[in-house]
Amino acid sequence: MSAPAVVACTWGQPAAEAETLLTLGRTVAAALGGELRWLVLGALPEDAAATAGRFGAGGIDHVDDPRLAGSGSDARVAALASYLAGSPPRLVLFNQTFQARDTVPRLAARLGVGVVMNSVAIAHEGGTLRVTASAFGGDTRTVYDLGGAAPHLVAVGPNAVQPAPVGSPASAVVRQVGADLGAVAERVRVVTPPKREGPRLEDAQVIVAGGRGLGEPGNFKLVEELAAALGGVAGASRPIVDDGWTDPSRQVGLTGKITRPGLYVAAGISGASQHMVGCSAAKTIVAINRDPDAAIFKHARFGIVGDCVAILPELTRAVKAR
Amino acid sequence: MRIVICAKEVPDPDAVNNYALEGRLVIGDDGKTLTQASIPRLMNAYDEQAIEAALRLRDAGVDCTITVVAAGAESGDVLKHAAAMGADEIVAISLDAAGSDYHVAGAVLAAYVATSGGADLVLCGRQASDDDQGVVPAVIAERLGMPLVSIARAVELVDGPGVCVTRVTPDGDEVVECPCPAVVTISNELGTPRYPTMAKRMQARKKVPATVAVASLGLAPADLEPRVALTRQFVPTVQGSCEMIEGASAAEQAERLVARLRAESVL
Repeated sequence: MSAPAVVACTWGQPAAEAETLLTLGRTVAAALGGELRWLVLGALPEDAAATAGRFGAGGIDHVDDPRLAGSGSDARVAALASYLAGSPPRLVLFNQTFQARDTVPRLAARLGVGVVMNSVAIAHEGGTLRVTASAFGGDTRTVYDLGGAAPHLVAVGPNAVQPAPVGSPASAVVRQVGADLGAVAERVRVVTPPKREGPRLEDAQVIVAGGRGLGEPGNFKLVEELAAALGGVAGASRPIVDDGWTDPSRQVGLTGKITRPGLYVAAGISGASQHMVGCSAAKTIVAINRDPDAAIFKHARFGIVGDCVAILPELTRAVKAR
Repeated sequence: MRIVICAKEVPDPDAVNNYALEGRLVIGDDGKTLTQASIPRLMNAYDEQAIEAALRLRDAGVDCTITVVAAGAESGDVLKHAAAMGADEIVAISLDAAGSDYHVAGAVLAAYVATSGGADLVLCGRQASDDDQGVVPAVIAERLGMPLVSIARAVELVDGPGVCVTRVTPDGDEVVECPCPAVVTISNELGTPRYPTMAKRMQARKKVPATVAVASLGLAPADLEPRVALTRQFVPTVQGSCEMIEGASAAEQAERLVARLRAESVL
């Protein structure tokens, strides 16, 4: 069997999280004149076969091994290196998840191949794979040409493309692929696993986030009250987290949480690129800011020029009114 | 024990951010480099926090030497800052950014560690604030056969010897342990790095970094061949299409906004 042109690889994520990756992978595979396959490490997500078919993967390669369930990257790197030995694809795509930040660069170093993280677009031009990535916290975009031997590895940010199903879905077959992980002993041992407190910003459908425009720490409760009224989660920009107005786990942005809610309300947030990295994948952004020239309005679908301290309680009231 | 920290000089990200917000960020004639002379160059802030993590180990009573190494074109000021913070040894490796990438930089830094007596602990910033790639620490770990622990807010030494690291994960803090030698990357959650006193800064000004030539590191030609080439850098444009909600009062604006969100089925 000939190697696919593109492999999209996921682990530990629901099938829906692969939709962006498969949409992008399908486009690049078509440009390269080859097939897209979906490589799943560890447990196969529910609906994987249906998702693969709907988003144009030629099939699923499944590497299942209990060692792939942990948070350590030794087994994942070994499984990927084994899968990619022999005749590798031209390109392997990953979601830019927390674990991918370790796994993908380590794999690149192990294989001695090219890698780009934080990618927002991939093009095939004149025989070269050209990857656009986010840099300077979102202030600029960098364009890299991938050279050297295949496979090239690219970790893709959450809003690189809109997921788009194919016109006529075919059913995808799952193929079990072996990987000898018998010799792998994870060197990094978990002493205390993370304790998730409250709902995660990453999973929230509605986020209300506050920034410096709130004026004083006590006003963060206005953000929490609107979030509660909307059935959502409260978030914050880095400046007010740094100043201790709220907990660091609330921080949205480059060094905080990368979110993709349906609705993101930014109250008193100027819209610096470092913040937008964490919320630009939102379907609808509402901006409330006193400064009509604030950058946040360029990203927003709806805007109110005004004092968020006055407007937030009115919004809470209006939402509760029905 | 020997702790080696890898540091990089970057354009001040706050200055870049200000210029970008004002729409005045200029890309140089080569189409890929930020050349505005008014943007200061300084140490990548995450690397500064990696130095701080090492100094905290020493403050906690760990008997260690702290070496800060920078691979780049001009790293003198960055290394002097490291010395002022408390580094025992500062090392400059001259590397031309144009013919280099993460693969070359990682190979060079790993070879430096291996040929200079090794390290019990290699600390790096979680990523460089210019390219945000965060790849070099993983390359160093792989090439030295060391485990990699990323995005730490606290690092302690434990018997073994090993490191106990608190990592900042999306699900909250995770505590892990691994044997030394290891590579650990430090995140901003570690806290503000110490600012050296005037006296220490004056002393450090006289310090000259030891220089190491790439040719002396015994690397194969393939190790010095970049895998990716930066061809272009640009400032993204945002297509603004914001519908402004007007109103005579905050209450009116709020009601109109909620009505619009309901009309568009957002709520």
